[in-house]
Amino acid sequence: MSASSMVPLGVLEEQILVAVIRTRDAAFGMSVRREIKRVTGRDLAIGAVYATLDRLEAKGAVKSRRVTSDGASRRSFAVTRAGLRALAETQAMRERLWKGVDLKALQTATA
Amino acid sequence: MYPPRLPLAILRTVLPRAEREEIVADLIAEYREIAMAHGERNARAWIWRQALGTARALVPWALWRESTAFEPRANAYRPGGPMLKHFITDARYALRRLRARPTYALLSVLTLALGIGGTAAVYAIARPVLFDPLPYRNEKEVASFWMSFSWNEQEFTWLRGRFPGFQSVAMYNHRDLNLQGTGNETRLLSGVASSAELFDILGTKPALGNTFKTGDDVVGADPVAILSYGLWREMGGEQSIIGSRLTLNGIPRTVIGVMPRGFWFPTPEVRVWVPMQINPNGRNGSYALVGLVQPGKNPDHMEPDVDQLVSMLKGQFQYPVQWDKTKNAKVQSIHEGFVGPMRPALVATMAAMVLVLIIACVNVAALMLGQVESRASELAVRAALGANRNRLTQPLIVEALIIGVAAAAVGAGLAVAGFRVLTSALPLGAWGEAATFDWTLFVAALALSVVSALLVVMIPSASLWRSSAAGGLQNMLSRLRTGGVRGGGAMRTERTLVVIEMTVAMLIASSATLLVRSVANMYAIDPGIDTHNVAVIDASGTPTVPLAERNTTIEQAVAALKEMPGVENAAAAMRLPLRGNGNSTGISVVGRDSVQATTTYFRIGTLDYFSTMGIKLVSGRVFDATDQPGGTISVVINSALAKTYFPGENPIGRMIAGMYNVPQQIIGVVDDVAEGTLTAAPAPARYYLWSQVLGGFGTGVTFVVRAKRGTSDVAVLNEARQTLARAAPGFGIRNTTTMSRVMDQAVGPARNVMSLLTALSVLALVLGAVGIYGVMAHFATRRKRDWAIRVALGLSGTRVVGRVLSQGAVLVVIGVVVGAGATLLVSRLLSTFLFGVSGTDPVAFLGATAALLVTGMIASFIPARRAGKVDPALVLREEA
Repeated sequence: MSASSMVPLGVLEEQILVAVIRTRDAAFGMSVRREIKRVTGRDLAIGAVYATLDRLEAKGAVKSRRVTSDGASRRSFAVTRAGLRALAETQAMRERLWKGVDLKALQTATA
Repeated sequence: MYPPRLPLAILRTVLPRAEREEIVADLIAEYREIAMAHGERNARAWIWRQALGTARALVPWALWRESTAFEPRANAYRPGGPMLKHFITDARYALRRLRARPTYALLSVLTLALGIGGTAAVYAIARPVLFDPLPYRNEKEVASFWMSFSWNEQEFTWLRGRFPGFQSVAMYNHRDLNLQGTGNETRLLSGVASSAELFDILGTKPALGNTFKTGDDVVGADPVAILSYGLWREMGGEQSIIGSRLTLNGIPRTVIGVMPRGFWFPTPEVRVWVPMQINPNGRNGSYALVGLVQPGKNPDHMEPDVDQLVSMLKGQFQYPVQWDKTKNAKVQSIHEGFVGPMRPALVATMAAMVLVLIIACVNVAALMLGQVESRASELAVRAALGANRNRLTQPLIVEALIIGVAAAAVGAGLAVAGFRVLTSALPLGAWGEAATFDWTLFVAALALSVVSALLVVMIPSASLWRSSAAGGLQNMLSRLRTGGVRGGGAMRTERTLVVIEMTVAMLIASSATLLVRSVANMYAIDPGIDTHNVAVIDASGTPTVPLAERNTTIEQAVAALKEMPGVENAAAAMRLPLRGNGNSTGISVVGRDSVQATTTYFRIGTLDYFSTMGIKLVSGRVFDATDQPGGTISVVINSALAKTYFPGENPIGRMIAGMYNVPQQIIGVVDDVAEGTLTAAPAPARYYLWSQVLGGFGTGVTFVVRAKRGTSDVAVLNEARQTLARAAPGFGIRNTTTMSRVMDQAVGPARNVMSLLTALSVLALVLGAVGIYGVMAHFATRRKRDWAIRVALGLSGTRVVGRVLSQGAVLVVIGVVVGAGATLLVSRLLSTFLFGVSGTDPVAFLGATAALLVTGMIASFIPARRAGKVDPALVLREEA
């Protein structure tokens, strides 16, 4: 699947992709979940995280492989090139959308 | 600090197999951290959120993985999505297979649906009767007394306050009350008149107002009434009803209370309760008693107190043999008393239904087993590719569940229909009104179908497991190669299933035959009346109208009924035959002291009562125009009375005394009539002429109208209703029926249970035949090659047919023998319904055996004939 067909990424997909990047070497489902919890305060169910990761892997935005950590085999995730491009395009799309919108000014105006 | 097990178990079940251990390990680790930081409570809440959130995400996740067949690269060596995925795969596969085999699918679904629908319908009826508690707070401490509706006011007044072992006792009987509305219309309400203690004994508090207080039941007390919740709602449901006045049977009564919703006593159709006006000398034995036992006593174990009560009764009252209250004295809990009589009918029906359900399950199991057999090669290939046992049986479970759910849908429809049929067919009376059709029935149907689906799948799964354990793949493949000649194991299971079916079918069929015989015996009893073509109208007059005036109205009404076209004769009577015991009074023969004062039934009818009812005259004469009021009154007696009181004498012209304080002369003897119950021995009875004795007791009167030949009693009934409305103003029509229905009611529950069991045994036979057909067809197909070789070697086609048929016959015979044994064991359950036939009646057993043998032979003949027509050249070439 090409990166552009993934754009724009869903909010959950975007958050999970960024979290995979942020957790780098230890990108297991659980650490992705914890990273999202830590940064956004969103307490996702582990099943929802895995369902999204599966979908992202099927789309080609992440890939998973088995790594051995602490003596146990675990599924570890990494964002693919296509995934990075999809993130970049999503971000760019968002920036275009936000361009010229000054929330601070609006908030003081309506206050 | 280990997280609770249940959420972890949920997570383990739903997560993909490859990942579940690592994820659960992480969750446990995080649980510990949360528990450290925020306490165990928060951690528990968190793990529950995780489990439930994951379960919620499961359906879209599984559906998506199923439809895309996605498998993460990391799990390439341990494939398998979340739990549901396999189910979805299997469900799609099962649906395809079922669509490809419509006969199998249809047969399984219909078979199961019949069992489920019937069982669920019976459950819906049985639930309020057998399982729900009675709506009385004191249910556990309330007892009902023996000889229901035979106690009189005199006995009660004497015993009141000193019933041994009881805190208090109330008496009551049924009253139909004419409620006068604002306009001219009246409606008849089913009501109860009771002594003042009733509601305190039951312990149920009214929803509005009060219940009876002491003194409400004495002559001259202010007339009051308590309404049922339903009646109150119909009358507007205003709180202000308390204190308002209603005119019941012409008497204005103050409404003092409304009972809560769901309260009923003693039957659900009763809508109004009024206090009796107890006459301390009243001797009309028509009341029933309920009592609240003393604290600590068990209403089902009151024998010492009952013995004491009996000796009190013995000392005070003298009883004739037939109505001796000192015999068979027994009190029992109100639940037993109210529900007990219904129980055998329901248990018998319920048991038969469950058995039919079992037959249905066994049938589907046998059908599935055949399917598994024919899929041997496919299963062998799956096993070779690494499918384990669970993976092999799961498709079967899913297939069975699909059949189960489809059967539940069809079965729910059948349950609705069955419920309607059963409520009208079963002798449930008021219980039928209490049984309401609600969602529990659908839940029951669904639960039943899932349970039966799982039962069904156990058998083929077991056979699959056994064959894969005992040599696995080789076994399956070898069976495939030999065309199944060696595979005796599964056939043995199938044969066992058929034997079970036949056993159960035999059980139901022979029970049904027993009841058919018993009911036929009952109908064969001569009740002494001609029950054909007689319309019956129960009416009641207004008590405030003077007796003489009421009697004139009745005479005029009878005359008007006789004038109607299509009517042969008409009469009015106090109490019809076949409507149970009651109305008996003392008799003595004038000029003879040796005869103890005893009692006989007494009946009062108008002039043409005997000819209208078809009661035959034995000697003397029946009433005629010469019998006028005033002076000596005429009495007609029955043969039983003549035999008892005038053995070897001519009773005609003799004088008797009792009941009325005027001279009474016997003018004729008529045939014995089943005045009380159908099966009771002929009891002495005497008949008086309505115009001579100025009517019966109370305000009730029953009109009987004999239709001319060629006119139906039901048609006459409609016209009679209108005639009575015109000719008998002030009389409310309580009930209309026909004499043949009165007869049916007298035959009682046995008749209804019989029709139900007969229907069920037909169902059982049909299902059993389907089972035999399925198994024999499978048997014949599997051994097709075997037969072909034998035919090629010179065995004749007829011999082949014979072999298959005898195989079927053996199964049927074993089933019949085992089933006959089982019937002997359970016939005690039916004994309450049996009349004139023993539980071991050979005719019943032979009849059922014949029915089963014939059905079994027909069912196995079709596959047998097919096997006999086998063409060896074709078969051997095809399987080479």
